Amino acid sequence: MPSTSMALTPGLASFLRSLKTNPIDTSIDNLISLLKRRQIRHSRSCATATAYLLLRVISACRTSDAAKLIERVQSVGRRLVAAQPKEMVVGNIVRRVLGLIRDEAEDDREADFNLSEASESQPQTPRALDGSDRGSSRPPLSQPAPISMFSLLSHPEPETSLPGTPASASPSGRLLGHVQSKDVRAEVLEGVNEIIDELGQVDDQIAAYALDHIHSNEIILTHTSSTTVQKFLLKAAAKRKFTVIHAESYPNNHEATHATVSGNSTGDEEILSTESFQKPLIALGITVILIPDSAVFALMSRVNKVILGTHSVLANGGLVASAGTRVIARAAKVHQTPVVVVSGVYKLSPVYPFDFDSLIEYGDSSNVIGYEDGDLVDQIDVQNPLYDYVPAELIDLYITNLGGHAPSYLYRIVSDHYRKEDISF
Amino acid sequence: MANPVDPAQTSPPSTSPSPAPATQQSTDMSSQQPPSQPPQPSNGASKPAKPPKQPKSKDAPPAAGGAPGEEKLSPAELKKKAKAEKAARRAKERAEREASGGAGAGPGPNAAPPKKGSTGGGAGGKEAPGQPYKSQRHRRGSATQASATEQKKKQEDKNVAVFGHLYGQPRRTTIAGAGKEVHPAVLALGLQMRDYVVCGSSARCVATLLAFKRVIEAYTTPLGTSLSRHLTTHLSHQITYLSTCRPLSISQGNAIRALKLAISSIDPSVPEASAKATLSDFIDNFIREKITVADQVIATSAAEKIQDGDVIVTFAGSSIVKQTLLTAYKQGKKFRVSIIDSRPLFEGKNLARTLANAGLEVQYSLVNGISHAIKDATKVFLGAHAMTSNGRLYSRVGTALVAMSAKERAGGVEVPVIVCCETVKFTDRVALDSIVVNEIADADELVPSQPLKQVTGLPDPADEADTKKGDSKKGGNKAAANAPPAESTPLPEGASPLTNWKETPNLQLLNIMYDVTPAEYVDMVVTEMGSLPPSAVPIVHRMSTNL
Repeated sequence: MPSTSMALTPGLASFLRSLKTNPIDTSIDNLISLLKRRQIRHSRSCATATAYLLLRVISACRTSDAAKLIERVQSVGRRLVAAQPKEMVVGNIVRRVLGLIRDEAEDDREADFNLSEASESQPQTPRALDGSDRGSSRPPLSQPAPISMFSLLSHPEPETSLPGTPASASPSGRLLGHVQSKDVRAEVLEGVNEIIDELGQVDDQIAAYALDHIHSNEIILTHTSSTTVQKFLLKAAAKRKFTVIHAESYPNNHEATHATVSGNSTGDEEILSTESFQKPLIALGITVILIPDSAVFALMSRVNKVILGTHSVLANGGLVASAGTRVIARAAKVHQTPVVVVSGVYKLSPVYPFDFDSLIEYGDSSNVIGYEDGDLVDQIDVQNPLYDYVPAELIDLYITNLGGHAPSYLYRIVSDHYRKEDISF
Repeated sequence: MANPVDPAQTSPPSTSPSPAPATQQSTDMSSQQPPSQPPQPSNGASKPAKPPKQPKSKDAPPAAGGAPGEEKLSPAELKKKAKAEKAARRAKERAEREASGGAGAGPGPNAAPPKKGSTGGGAGGKEAPGQPYKSQRHRRGSATQASATEQKKKQEDKNVAVFGHLYGQPRRTTIAGAGKEVHPAVLALGLQMRDYVVCGSSARCVATLLAFKRVIEAYTTPLGTSLSRHLTTHLSHQITYLSTCRPLSISQGNAIRALKLAISSIDPSVPEASAKATLSDFIDNFIREKITVADQVIATSAAEKIQDGDVIVTFAGSSIVKQTLLTAYKQGKKFRVSIIDSRPLFEGKNLARTLANAGLEVQYSLVNGISHAIKDATKVFLGAHAMTSNGRLYSRVGTALVAMSAKERAGGVEVPVIVCCETVKFTDRVALDSIVVNEIADADELVPSQPLKQVTGLPDPADEADTKKGDSKKGGNKAAANAPPAESTPLPEGASPLTNWKETPNLQLLNIMYDVTPAEYVDMVVTEMGSLPPSAVPIVHRMSTNL
């Protein structure tokens, strides 16, 4: 892999850098190997890498035929998903892009149908236009827009691209007239760029809801180091004083947690490059109490709210999150403490879990028992699960960039974001 | 159980006959604490405040100082008063002793680093800035008082408010400042308990009793008092010392109560030698009855609950669970053990090693893997630190999580939770949650130790960074209060981000030792008196104490 050798450590940053220079097939292979070797992990990094790769794949695909485009994206997507089936966001992004292409292609054909639906989608447009709430722009993406009438008149059938991402979806205030001339590919590229934008902004959008959920003098318990949770708490910390109890999630993520908590990151993880500039909560005068994971039950009786990050969210309202989350959620349930999960919509996967074990990834057992206890490793079976499946009944509320939802409502958001035919692409 | 032998071995005088035990003891004291003797400053009037602060200076280097130290001392003294019958006299003795011990502060820090080095290298780095700073304060005297109070405020900030009532005196770091009547076996045991060398409720109980046996053997009744009266006081000094090393466990408390009862019931007319023999027998019997035999009974009856094909989940390292599993294995039962362990003590590692060496099939995971480990579990065996009167299990922190997971398995099938507990661990205290009753351990134990470094002739960069910080702190700690100095001073490579947590404002580390498992998670308590539901605990406790 020539691209990985030129970067210091292979990862998201080096991949994105190499994406511009490398031929497309090399990039695909590169990402596959990065995913397989777990050099790109964390949902957001995977999602970003996938989105950029697909952007490149689509722009390199010199066709305006939607069917071919779909086929190409599907084949790339299948390989990516096969490389790391447990990173569900990869599949999510592929599905989103596929949905985009289909929308673009079908908008035209369904123009007549759109007319009838147009009145329904209209109320949503002004709300999204204000730009403050970018998240609400997602549903219209898949929804036909009234302006498609224009293109119906101006373009013949197969060639046409409809402004499937209507003006409401782009904050840049794209005018209807500009869109008309673009082909399917350009439209899709636009849409993928929007997905990438969404990935960048999702945490801030979620954080906007923080003040609704965190109040003065509350005691909040959280677990492991999640940027989404940190931003959420930071937003609330700007206005209110509360206490945060932080479980360290030993042994897989405790170093990052310690760094998050104390505000001095020793690790040079490039994934955290943006976050590392972020102030720690303690700098805003928030008392942060770091505890070992085992003390969660002991402290839960004093906790007002549990706020958790997640790895991915499943359509049934359950979630896959870092190991230890399940007992925390369970302990919260026992103590009648509300559990709030903050997660970007991109983590929401249309997968219904039937086999929970297949969702769980196991990590490096040397984190559990180090090499200094080598004799022990030979004799016993050391387990280090990275993820927990948390059933929906343990979660009280999901906060996504679209707002707060009950776990039972998630299937609705799933169907807003993914098309039926793409669920098993 | 091998541990209790250690304190016995470390004390030479006990085997010898006692023609002049008083002198023997004092000479022994001096041999135990050579560093405290040489300085001998005579300005005893102002000094007594110093040595009790000694432990604090390790736990929180900034906290020590002239006036605040004395304030700190008085509540601690009050506590002792409640325990000891002759507090006033003892305090005077103590003051005299400390005056002669004088700048016990000098050897104090010197004695501390080896210990820290062994427990956690990350904290070991902290010693370096502490020392120069401290010696400087000695020179400047009251000039630093203002800054000392300021620093004290910052140090108290590190106490988690909810657990405020549990932060007593910081644990003793050295034997300096211990009363001269404290027996060397007890001195050694105290340090062993503090370092978790002797760890676990039963082990601590046995070790304490054995050490007290030596104390009694070496004891002679002073003129004008009777053994049954004076020995209790004498033991109180030992107990006070032990409790400053680490708070006493419930089992220790129960054993001490029984021992005191036995002492006070001795007829004053009984000659001293036979009285001491009676007490030795009493201690031996107590250990045998309440712990050794009780453990065997519990192990046998708990092992009966294990069947072929079982998957037993246990948490941390309980000696009685270990015995149970080994007993069942020796009976030829085929089962698998899944051990869940937790930071920072990793007690499960020893259990895993023992069981694996014995030939059992062992699976090991940490707290984050509870829900996975519990998935295949058929039974959960838990050890106990104590059982409270309201039927709750008071045990190593994390136990409640395991018990809860066992009871709320997604499949709907509950896994039976069986607690193995000697009745000596039953208490009449009640606890609703883990906050009322608990023990706070040194939070520095949570700071991950630095990876081992290659030893070279070059100066350690970590030390350099630390001394630099020490220098800057001397100038004034205003900078430290405003901005976390951790950000300004680059951390050495590989050091934990938590290394400077004490200087980081608003950041607190909490290291509690125990938690309380609700009674409804416990299906059965296996004791030497039979297998009971948790609700039977108060009845059994009343029975066993009235005996």
